[in-house]
Amino acid sequence: MRPCVVAATALLALGAGVARADDPKLLPNERAFAFSARGVDERTVEARFVIADGYYLYRDKLRFSAEPGTMAPPTLPPGKVKEDQFFGKVETYRNQIVVRLPLETAAPGKSITVHAESQGCADLGVCYPPQVQNVTLTLPQAGGRPGMPVEAAPQKKSWLQ
Amino acid sequence: MTWRRGPLLVGAFAAAIAVAAVLLWRQLAIDSTRPAGGTADGAALLALTLPDAAGKQEALGQWKGKVLIVNFWATWCEPCKEEMPRFIKLQDEYGARGLQFVGVAIDQADKVRAFAKDIGLNYPTLVGGYGAIELSKTLGNNVGALPFTVVLDRSGGVVHTQLGPLKDQQLLSIIKQLV
Repeated sequence: MRPCVVAATALLALGAGVARADDPKLLPNERAFAFSARGVDERTVEARFVIADGYYLYRDKLRFSAEPGTMAPPTLPPGKVKEDQFFGKVETYRNQIVVRLPLETAAPGKSITVHAESQGCADLGVCYPPQVQNVTLTLPQAGGRPGMPVEAAPQKKSWLQ
Repeated sequence: MTWRRGPLLVGAFAAAIAVAAVLLWRQLAIDSTRPAGGTADGAALLALTLPDAAGKQEALGQWKGKVLIVNFWATWCEPCKEEMPRFIKLQDEYGARGLQFVGVAIDQADKVRAFAKDIGLNYPTLVGGYGAIELSKTLGNNVGALPFTVVLDRSGGVVHTQLGPLKDQQLLSIIKQLV
């Protein structure tokens, strides 16, 4: 019976172990990397990407901007260092990333739109084009309560025409 | 004791083998190339005209009659770049027998030029934007990700599409069937 066990195991491994990138379970870009944001105070936005299991974002491809208004360059948390055959060391994020975005001028009670550009890949061996996701939120009044997170509406627009 | 368990075990193994066989069959069925002279989708791809990395307009239709492998890629896509040295090798090996690789980069021309030079690309690569991604969606690239590869036979029919890297053996057997 032993050869039979070996054969069955081998066959199972062969049949079940092949992960394919054209698996219908691959998520669309905006669901693999779901962007949301909320106003923390009158001059600070908290941006969040929830990254699906098996997906990762590139740290150096993240860009944020506000409209109207100007954002100071945010401090991005360190990512996991990955050796890229062509780019050298690159940092990636998994699971979730939260970034505080400071506005140059306070805008208490004002509505602003936050644009977040990101680019990421799936472990299955595919990468997604850069995408810009937008959130329109209202900043709290000075001393007021932080706002609720707002989910992004996807939009295809970036440095790519 | 064993005589009682025996049939049960045999049954379990038989079931396991059956499941494995079905899985394997499905795998092969998905991977298998469709018959020659395939879908009309090849026409949309062959009708495409895009600039190359130097800005010169190139029509994909000029390669009709060859076994055409159109590879959607980008310099920001690591798995894309990993498989391209294999394409270069296959272009070298089978080019004389009518195999033609053509890249469609979802990228900026300067980055494409630099990378093509770096790896010694020996086949043309055109530069497309989101429009090219949208076209790839009509060919089965549901989520618009890269790499995405379309194999056309000499009559312009789509015989294989692949989202994600092509495996060596798989690509070789497709090419050998068509050249």
